[in-house]
Amino acid sequence: MRKIIHIDADCFFAALEMRDNTALTHVPIAVGGSARRRGVIATCNYPARSFGVHSAMATAYALRLCPHLHLLPARFDVYRQASQSMQAIFADYTDLIEPLSLDEAFLDVSQASACAGSATLIAQEIRARIACEVGITVSAGVANNKFLAKVASDWQKPDGITVITPEQNDAFSCALPVKKLNGVGKVTAHKLEQMGLYTCADLRAAGKAVLLDRFGRFGELLYERSYGIDEREVQKSRTRKSISVEHTYAEDFNAQGCAQHIEPLLQALKERIRKCEAAKAVHKLFVKVKFADFTVTTLERSAHSVSIEVFGLLLEQAVARSAQKIRLLGFGVRLMQGNVQDQPSEQLMLFG
Amino acid sequence: MQFSIARDALLKPLQLVAGVVERRQTMPVLANVLLVLEGDYLSLTGTDLEVEIVGRVKVESVSEVGAITVPAKKLLDICKSLSDGSSIQFTVNEQKVNVHCGKSRFNLTSLPANEFPSVEPGDDDLVFNTQQKEVKRLIERTSFAMAQQDVRYYLNGMLWELRSGSLRAVATDGHRLAMCTRAVNVDYEGVKQAILPRKGVIELSRLLTEPEGSVQLVLGSSHIRAHTSDFTFTSKLVDGKFPDYERVLPRNGDKIVMGDREALRQAFTRTAILANEKYRGVRFVLSDGLLTVTANNPEQEEAEEQVAVEYQGDGLEVGFNVSYLQDVSSVITSSQLKLTLSDTNSSVLVEDPENSDSVYVVMPMRL
Repeated sequence: MRKIIHIDADCFFAALEMRDNTALTHVPIAVGGSARRRGVIATCNYPARSFGVHSAMATAYALRLCPHLHLLPARFDVYRQASQSMQAIFADYTDLIEPLSLDEAFLDVSQASACAGSATLIAQEIRARIACEVGITVSAGVANNKFLAKVASDWQKPDGITVITPEQNDAFSCALPVKKLNGVGKVTAHKLEQMGLYTCADLRAAGKAVLLDRFGRFGELLYERSYGIDEREVQKSRTRKSISVEHTYAEDFNAQGCAQHIEPLLQALKERIRKCEAAKAVHKLFVKVKFADFTVTTLERSAHSVSIEVFGLLLEQAVARSAQKIRLLGFGVRLMQGNVQDQPSEQLMLFG
Repeated sequence: MQFSIARDALLKPLQLVAGVVERRQTMPVLANVLLVLEGDYLSLTGTDLEVEIVGRVKVESVSEVGAITVPAKKLLDICKSLSDGSSIQFTVNEQKVNVHCGKSRFNLTSLPANEFPSVEPGDDDLVFNTQQKEVKRLIERTSFAMAQQDVRYYLNGMLWELRSGSLRAVATDGHRLAMCTRAVNVDYEGVKQAILPRKGVIELSRLLTEPEGSVQLVLGSSHIRAHTSDFTFTSKLVDGKFPDYERVLPRNGDKIVMGDREALRQAFTRTAILANEKYRGVRFVLSDGLLTVTANNPEQEEAEEQVAVEYQGDGLEVGFNVSYLQDVSSVITSSQLKLTLSDTNSSVLVEDPENSDSVYVVMPMRL
């Protein structure tokens, strides 16, 4: 039987800001971009959440909900360092770690020897050590698969731990609302509701055939999850499929205004590719354009290296797809999968 | 319209003209060849709206002049399959064109000549004459490096750069570049650039069949035309800015290698067999008097070729796409090949040491 722990820091960025400035503990704070520059909220603390502020919300809107919201700029170096400290603690228990983001990870402790092999005790110890060594609280979920572990970590947030034993598995998953299943967002939830399906018990009753018919391959997944089944392994490193950079501009601009943004985006992209040591794996270039009406278009083309000309031409074509002004531009590369021997050698360009 | 013509005389211009007709067209009439009989000369025209070729040939006898269009591919296939030395009689009868040769008879559909579009040439800026072999050489020496269906549409063609006394052709796909310059008798103040589309370049080359014959070139703002005694070629120019090729011609190469061209070409051909099928990388290891070319592929197979070369100096290891090297070592015809290199990240300049009219630049690969 597998033993999986899901660790999720409680409002990570905000927690680190409160750790470094205790005066912020009881005031609503958020980390994110300024409203003036059309930023969004990355994280906010619980006092801010009580006003209805949440992550990914436009800062301007958050300030309307909570006018005295204390907005802080992101300090990624601090967050990254805290993340590394957490990773180091995880590594004391298992080397089967799947990081999902800076503050979230799956741990497979099936083979762990610490705490007499008890996943619950390991999770408790990890929580205590992070509180002590990093100075923030994390929530943990323990179960026999990734899906339930992730649902469990959210069950008693913040600073909580939830254990779903194999015996509880069936009853627990049966009672879950469909919104708790990963992959079920607003749209899918609405479709399910229209079918009269609100909980996993409803999904079970509806049967595999109905779900398959309505949702295809995803329906099969829903059916499995409704029984608390998830066979996915904890994967040590997730293979990166693409690298991209994008920027929302302070003011919308028209097609002629694109030219000046190409070079900074390209430099940022090259820097990220260099950091990821992925130059050899590049096999497609793509551009993303978000227009003032929030419609998004992307365009891509095969190429084995980053070329300003290709990006320029892709952008020209992408921008021409709408008469709207432009709000966001993104440049990216898609990466070859597979082992390095199969990966391309990088052809250098004559015209930079 | 009614006339008779020698099959062998008709075949050559018909082949040239039919070459420009695309297999799929946007208008039915573009599948046809326009036949116009004036005096005792027949002119044949084919077009894809970008490139137009008009061939002229003398007929044997004329009963009635006129103009008509007939399916190009079918007429060509008929002419090709008729026997050498035969004579063909054309008769237009209502909407049908009757082709009669000995005991063979064909009735072809037709469309009226006035439906046939012509490529409107704009202003003629510049007119000059040269021998066909000069233009042919410019194209043969460089056309292999043109891009194909690149989004940088201006690379899907060939740059012609004219200045007083010389015509230069440049082609590049962004990874390698080919350039050839020939003397022509032209007076022009300044530099005139024109980008010929890929198809135009290929078709023009096919037309230049008489090396010593003369060709008149007319360079306009949006078109180029070429006239010989047998045909008129018109092509639209690519509206775009060709990259600054002078900037990428390497100037600071300090490692000059001379080698037997055929030995190098064969070494490239053999190592290519085990190069990665998609990326085609081979490694050069240069040392005193020796160039070692190696290749390996994902199956872990390896090829190594050693070629004795004239070289003294620092060692160098650099990767290249072997296909680009094969192209260059095949297009150059001299017995020796001169390579000028500098470092792992810089391009190689490849030249024919006996004839400096062409230079080739190939960017390296990071292997």
